[in-house]
Amino acid sequence: MTSKLILMPRELREVYYVDGVRTAFGKAGPKGMFWSTRADDMAVKVVRELLRRNPGIPPERIGDVIMAATAQVGDQGLTLGRDVGLLAGIPQSVPGFAVDRMCAGALTAVTAGAGELALGAADVVLAGGVEHMGHHPMGEDVDFNPRFVAERLVDTSAVTMGATAENLHDRFPQITKERADAFAVQSQQRAAHAWQNGVMGETVVPMSVFSEEGWRVAERDEFLRPDTTLEGLADLRTPFRPGGRVTAGNSAGLTDGATACFLASDTAVDELGLEPKMRLVAFAFAGVEPELMGIGPIPATQKVLDQAGLTLDDVGLLELNEPFAVQVLTWCDELGVSPDDDRLNPYGGAIAFGHPLAATGVRLMAQLAYGFKERPDVQYGLTALCVGMGMGAAVLWERA
Amino acid sequence: MPDTEFKLARTGDVAIVTIDNGADHTKPTFFSRGALESLDRVLDELERTDFTALVLTGKPFVFAAGADVTEFPDVSPELAREGSRAGHELFTRIAALPYPTVAAVNGACLGGGVEIALHCDARTISSGVRHFACPEVFLGIFPAWGGTQIIPRLVGPETAVKFIVANPLRQNRMLDARKAHELGFADALFEPVEFLDESIAFARDLAERGGLERPEPDFSELETILRRARGDVDDSVHGAAPGPYRALDLIEGAATWSLEEGYRAEEDAIAELLPSRQAQASIYAFDLVERRIKRGVGVPDAKPRRIERVGIVGAGLMATQLATLFLRRLEVPIVLRDLEQATVDRAVESIRDELALQVSKGRYDEGKARFLGSLVSGATSYDVFDGCDLVLEAVFEELSVKQEVFAELERVVSPECVLATNTSSLSVTEMASGLEHPQRVVGMHFFNPVALMPLVELVRAAETDEITLATAWDVSKKLRKRAVVVRDAPGFVVNRVLTRMTRVLMDALEHGNTVEETDEAIMRLGMPMAPSVLLQMVGPRVANHVLETMHDAFPDRFSLSPTLAGFADGRDEIVVLENAPKPVEEITDAVLEAVADEIHRLLEESVVAEAADVDACLILGAGWPFFLGGITKYLDQTGVSERMFGQPLADVRAGAPA
Repeated sequence: MTSKLILMPRELREVYYVDGVRTAFGKAGPKGMFWSTRADDMAVKVVRELLRRNPGIPPERIGDVIMAATAQVGDQGLTLGRDVGLLAGIPQSVPGFAVDRMCAGALTAVTAGAGELALGAADVVLAGGVEHMGHHPMGEDVDFNPRFVAERLVDTSAVTMGATAENLHDRFPQITKERADAFAVQSQQRAAHAWQNGVMGETVVPMSVFSEEGWRVAERDEFLRPDTTLEGLADLRTPFRPGGRVTAGNSAGLTDGATACFLASDTAVDELGLEPKMRLVAFAFAGVEPELMGIGPIPATQKVLDQAGLTLDDVGLLELNEPFAVQVLTWCDELGVSPDDDRLNPYGGAIAFGHPLAATGVRLMAQLAYGFKERPDVQYGLTALCVGMGMGAAVLWERA
Repeated sequence: MPDTEFKLARTGDVAIVTIDNGADHTKPTFFSRGALESLDRVLDELERTDFTALVLTGKPFVFAAGADVTEFPDVSPELAREGSRAGHELFTRIAALPYPTVAAVNGACLGGGVEIALHCDARTISSGVRHFACPEVFLGIFPAWGGTQIIPRLVGPETAVKFIVANPLRQNRMLDARKAHELGFADALFEPVEFLDESIAFARDLAERGGLERPEPDFSELETILRRARGDVDDSVHGAAPGPYRALDLIEGAATWSLEEGYRAEEDAIAELLPSRQAQASIYAFDLVERRIKRGVGVPDAKPRRIERVGIVGAGLMATQLATLFLRRLEVPIVLRDLEQATVDRAVESIRDELALQVSKGRYDEGKARFLGSLVSGATSYDVFDGCDLVLEAVFEELSVKQEVFAELERVVSPECVLATNTSSLSVTEMASGLEHPQRVVGMHFFNPVALMPLVELVRAAETDEITLATAWDVSKKLRKRAVVVRDAPGFVVNRVLTRMTRVLMDALEHGNTVEETDEAIMRLGMPMAPSVLLQMVGPRVANHVLETMHDAFPDRFSLSPTLAGFADGRDEIVVLENAPKPVEEITDAVLEAVADEIHRLLEESVVAEAADVDACLILGAGWPFFLGGITKYLDQTGVSERMFGQPLADVRAGAPA
């Protein structure tokens, strides 16, 4: 092996997405269904479900367990991938680690795993993320460097995600509160519809959780509001700015949730006889002004399309995160996609499901994989998110 | 304690009921009166609703710990019957639900917890469960919520006898999940990690399949099994406690009775047993050793010192046992010292052998045993004790020898080093008297065999300071012993009471009674061991030595015994001073009165704070039975205390005038 690497030009291997699952997403806080459940136990649950659903992958063949979390302390500490691997009963010989790119955590776990697979460092990788925002409120324990403010490196609003969303409304005045609310209503309606069809049954793992009311099963997202109307959203409070435009109705709530997926190299797919759902075509990350972090997916999308030599017209499914309706609308306007385009978030988005920061990336992939199954005509699909402190992340997939 | 509630939730058309008291696992859920009312309400709901299955489970780590024992003291026969009937009625309603019911035993499952689970159609158990048992017989009663009737029908009479009667009588032995599953108590064993999810899936599957096939119980050997079981119960309680016998009768009845008849029989029996002297004493004793003693009465609030190196003076049998215990529990360097290097080497070798034995039993891996073995060393010089934080002496029981040992030690160790003595009867205060720092001397009296006997008498000498006592308490706890603080007085508690009893028995022998008669006088109380056997175990030399010490202190009550002195010298003959044998009952009475008198004196002298502490010592240090409540409960119940002191011993406080 060694001599081969030294003497021969290296051949990269293709990377496949095999399967992915998530927990139901719960409301963060004492009233949420996961309040008395540990974050790492949630990650263990999705990992074990994944192992059960993919008996063709012997656990000892997993080359790495990569778990993302934004807050890497407490029940999300202890280099989470390793911790979760051991707790899930994966053999000790399988290593693991933790990654953080805030909202793009799970997506970065996937791209990091893809690197290992492409280079031959691993044949199968387990990647995912968890965020228990009830146990780990955003920004808790963060010691913000005073230089950021003193030297005006970033605007102070950059650290409050809701404030960056208000900034987007300022910068793009054509995106009104009404447009944002309309997008939120559509998200809720599509999500409600999706909960009736097969996508949630296939991607959401019920998990029994202990609560003040005893044991119950977390099996449905707690933020769903199928009866949301424009009128209902109109008068909601704007918590980030008096007279602002961002409300609890047109943004994703604080959420607890976990996700995990299996990735495999082409060689492992052949050897183990796996039936992967998607092939990874390309991925890209981009940086933007931190106080306008929501525009991050725009350059990330452009970069990934450039790499692949495709245009957005070639892409038949678009799974975008929806931390704020305004954020998705900036992307739509810039890339010329109508917000009601049925390629875009066909099953609804984070406004309806919730957004457990570092976990969300794999939810997008799991729904995209289901979309490929439902729409046999689609060849390419995109998953993309914006990231706090001014970044965007995008992965381009092809049906396998 | 928060009341237990039955909390109903649903997933799809499966009902999930959680037994929960809203507190964490350190406060287990009990079936108090309020809990049963809550169950009644949930059953209404379960009966009304068209579920496809029920999963009954507990809060994390606890399924249910059974009836609320705090409701038991001074209960009337009527109330006992009602309590039993209430459980029968409610649990029967669970059994009658029109859809499959599964008890998901996720944690500790005791007594009534087992019984409610048995009224479900099937049971799953988490492989993490370590406590699955019906301990009622341990408390002088029996499982009276259907346990004696359903268990034999489910797992057969042999396992039922073992589970309901034999295990509780063997230091309250419990089953772990694997064993419970193997024996047929549970139908499926699942890992803890997704236990409830898998149990819900099991219930759904059960609902689809319509039921479980189980082998019919085999009652063909019932007679033999029960004859053997009754013999075993005789051997352990000698007819002195009715609980286990009634449990066996009920198990026997299960072979022929209808369930309904069986439940009525349980109700009749519990109405009689729960208010009985033995059950009430057992409940008292249970509370004593589980609550009062664990809390630590008389332990000062000082911060204990860290113990990172321990010395043992002596390398004989007792010293070796002590060194092994300290090594295994504290895992710190241990040094021994004796007169001959060969003795020390033998001790070190025997400790390492013990570690090897633990390796072969799978309790340590080899690396750990090798490391622990490397921590033990010894020599003939006192210099080895340099740097010790605690030195325990276990040399010959002679005051002057022990004083010398302490004087030698004080030259080597720091002024803070705790000096402890394992003396069984000598004055700790005198032992410390010649020292420069007598405040660091404390008695730590262990009982033989050290690995098995739970008691340590912590002897507070005249000058023992708080930090020393607190350190000794902390060390005892880390050694996983139960410590009782006693004031320095000859023989402390256990030996003083036992020697007083021995003196009465010797007196009977010396007046023409036989050993069989003196043994019978004690065994009829239900003591675990005949005094003649106990004497052989302790060794007549030791026993006589203690008697001599007691004689020096209290010559009136502890006269020397020519017979015991003869035994000590190896002469196996009873010296009859006068031929006037007494009936066995009179010997028993004389023993009880002597013991009551001595305990009253222990209280007068403030050796312990309360009679309860004496009971704890006798239960944990001498193995006296729960159903006597140590002994003072029995003395109070039978009127001996009232007759002798005009009040129960329970009411006598330390320092009370005679």
